[in-house]
Amino acid sequence: MEQKEIKVLVQSVLEETKGIEGYFIVRAQSRREWSMRLSNGRFERVSTGEDSGFGVQAFTEKGASGFATSDVFEEGVGRKLVEKAIQLARRNEEIGSKRNRQIWEAPRVQEEVENSAQKGFEEIPLAELEEMVMKLHVRLRSSFPEGVWQSSYRQVEETWCIGRSDGTLVSFVIPRAVLMHQGTVRNQGKAQSTLIHRSGVDATLLIEELEDHVLEKKAMDRAEFAMAVCGAPQLPSGHYPLIIDYGLAKGLAHEAFGHAVESDHMNESVLGEAGKLRQGLRVARPGVNIIDGPLVGDWANQPYSANGLPRQTVTIVRDGVLEAGLGDIFSAVEAGMPITGAGRAESYGHIPLPRMSNIRLQVDRMLPLTPAEHLMDEVKAVRETLLEHGELREGEKNLLLLGYRGGQVNPKTGDFVFQCDGIIDVANPDLPIYQPSIFSGKILSALEAIRGGLGEGCYDAIGTCGKGGQSVASSGGSHRYLLMDADQQVSLGGEQA
Amino acid sequence: MKLIAQLEDLLYQSQQSPKKEELRLSAWRIVVHESEVVALGIKDNSPGSVYTPPSYRQGESGDVFLVWADGTCSQAMVQLPFSISPEYWTKQLEQWRQASYEDPDAVHIPFPESLPLVAVEDRAIKKIISGDDKLLFDQVNCWLSDKPSQAKMQGSIQAAWGYRHVRTSTGLAVTYQQSQFMSWFSFDSLIGGGFAKRRLIQPKEQEELWGQTVNQYEWMQKEATPVGPKTQVILAPSMTEDMLRQFVLPNFSGDRVIEGQGAFSKESFLDHTQVFHEQFSLIIDPLRPLELGSYLVTPEGVPANQTVLVQDGQLKTPFLKVKDAVRWGTKPTAVPQGTAGLYLKHQAEVPWVQALQGIDDGVLILSVLGLHTQDSVSGSYSLSAPHSLRILKGQIAGKTDVKLSGNFFADLAAPTTKTALSDLDTHPYLIIRTGVQTL
Repeated sequence: MEQKEIKVLVQSVLEETKGIEGYFIVRAQSRREWSMRLSNGRFERVSTGEDSGFGVQAFTEKGASGFATSDVFEEGVGRKLVEKAIQLARRNEEIGSKRNRQIWEAPRVQEEVENSAQKGFEEIPLAELEEMVMKLHVRLRSSFPEGVWQSSYRQVEETWCIGRSDGTLVSFVIPRAVLMHQGTVRNQGKAQSTLIHRSGVDATLLIEELEDHVLEKKAMDRAEFAMAVCGAPQLPSGHYPLIIDYGLAKGLAHEAFGHAVESDHMNESVLGEAGKLRQGLRVARPGVNIIDGPLVGDWANQPYSANGLPRQTVTIVRDGVLEAGLGDIFSAVEAGMPITGAGRAESYGHIPLPRMSNIRLQVDRMLPLTPAEHLMDEVKAVRETLLEHGELREGEKNLLLLGYRGGQVNPKTGDFVFQCDGIIDVANPDLPIYQPSIFSGKILSALEAIRGGLGEGCYDAIGTCGKGGQSVASSGGSHRYLLMDADQQVSLGGEQA
Repeated sequence: MKLIAQLEDLLYQSQQSPKKEELRLSAWRIVVHESEVVALGIKDNSPGSVYTPPSYRQGESGDVFLVWADGTCSQAMVQLPFSISPEYWTKQLEQWRQASYEDPDAVHIPFPESLPLVAVEDRAIKKIISGDDKLLFDQVNCWLSDKPSQAKMQGSIQAAWGYRHVRTSTGLAVTYQQSQFMSWFSFDSLIGGGFAKRRLIQPKEQEELWGQTVNQYEWMQKEATPVGPKTQVILAPSMTEDMLRQFVLPNFSGDRVIEGQGAFSKESFLDHTQVFHEQFSLIIDPLRPLELGSYLVTPEGVPANQTVLVQDGQLKTPFLKVKDAVRWGTKPTAVPQGTAGLYLKHQAEVPWVQALQGIDDGVLILSVLGLHTQDSVSGSYSLSAPHSLRILKGQIAGKTDVKLSGNFFADLAAPTTKTALSDLDTHPYLIIRTGVQTL
């Protein structure tokens, strides 16, 4: 369904149900996806799909809510959902649910944001896309035959329209595309896998990759690194000075700090007190900043919230001090923070929750670093830069953690864990490689340990946020690398020392 | 007109008398789900909050797999069209044709075979969907009134009911009703319990699950002595399930084994290599009545059957979908639904109560942070497990925070590893010797 078509549909549902008592948020979404997966030189799957549907969140006068959704676009479905949702809301009112009337205070917004993709969704026929991806896959296999390779490409277009009882009508289109190579390598009887990606908004990224082969080079470097990791020793567990790449820094910012300042988490967040954001709390050294906000052309871009409010860019930590949180219309006021349009949902079928978009960790104290074409050249450049600036501590390991494999945090206790692809000791001129081991600790200690950045900002680390059982695009980054002091509350796992 | 009927008409016509010759199909299969779901949640001790309101979801969607006359194939996700114009499905067919690709191993559509009788529907759940939903609201009220007074509770209850339709060009036409009931709750987002089957939870099960979770929460309030190098590690059933999901499931997937992307090679399956201890077996069983992983027929039209993946510690087969079975040169196997339907068995399994009494120095791991970040191919793990329970002289002694490091395949191969049976879970407690230290 096209943007205009969806808009008319939402308008007609709101018009048709004007007489029904209550407040309604109507969300309609249409999603198109083309995807393909190749393994060892053959197509394993090429798939097309469309998914459209309605979701209605209804509120009684007292602020009890109910929710109804459907992907069956039959005659009168909008009205049926509105009636079902308000019936559930009334039922909810009877059980002593917590009331929330904040939606009545939301400003009326009318906006239509056009698709930012350079190429229309079907501009390049699927058969041509298949050809391009196959060419990239075959080239990678012949360049690195020691690996078993799987390549995948996915392009998605989500069209949203959000209408509310107050006349709000917001519609926008989110285009998204990603090319991924997953390699499995074996060495010394052990296996390791590696996964890298290149993202964008449309098939332009395939055209660019066919010209510059940036992802292919990265894939080969990472596969070689994975082979070295197979036979590498484990590190003794302990507390070390660390250098983390921007993918890990995104993970740290997202999992450890972003979730802890979302307005619906303030009752259980280490950055909350009595349900309010601990504004003014020093959480890092001066010069450390954490910012969240949408970036046009980014994997996680979303210009408006799923409640129809503009998404704002928020400085969460400014100069080391906790300044603001990510607030949606329903819990921001209670959490003692401004409403920043942070509500996002996986689809029309999910309740929006306060979430991040693109989160970046920036440090005023930055050492220059020229990115190198190959991974180990860059690692050498990191070592030289640190030596030049007196940043390597004599007689102790300085560990560079490479590759973000995901992480998890308990916002209540502040415990976090992250996993990387492997570790290199840059204090040692031989640059010895170690097995990955869990990077864990307390989030406030990790933030306090950040002492500088290395290289310019890289904010294209992508992922999927799984908060609340939903899957929503997320992204972010930092300087190319972040420098962290050893801290007793931040450790690398591994074998017993 | 229902989606399944529209698709059947479309594909049958495209096989017999297509509008254009290039749109002629030689074979096809369809799977469509029609579902209705009602749910209710608790957030921060509040029932039906703005983030967890009572909800109703209706869905009707599916997948088609098409084999064209020239031997290429296509697959697509489908749902009812918004506006039914006569050209809609023809346009879809043209788009699917454009997406066709060569995959000679995938084009085989199995012929119908007799289906087993498996109970996958609880009529009581249909009543909830039809409006008799008092049970959900009562359960939430009961949880909130019985919870430990200081605990902040989160929770959710969900009931689902619907139809599953599977059709193939070889003559399979199956429609059956299935249901699901899932509930979970947690205290302070640290300790939790859950239930997921194709039937309602029974009062006794609810009572035991609640009692066990409340006890664990209370034990958490007391600090226990730290672990030592000889401390045994016991994975709670939900942790065993998580480890199976992370390390075992991907490495027994036929496509990964065939492509050399798994921990075990195809040859090691053909040679029946010993990878686990001889007392371990691993089975997919979709025939158990009313279990979440039970079904009558796979989306590809393969009747449910029991498949042994590991017997007496030896590799037998990966799980094989139709395409992988063709490449393997055998019949398709059962397929797990996530970890549901996957059963790990140890010959010397004892009830948990009995196993607990024999543990002199142990730590019970209820959850870990970051398991999904671990490399499933290598089997190695390095995990933190804050809020674990210390076991001393056969008794739970209180809370302790630990870090684990080891290799799950090595754990399953070790003669010291044992399992203990849980009354509340299809997965066992797993008693292992692995790297453990204080966090």
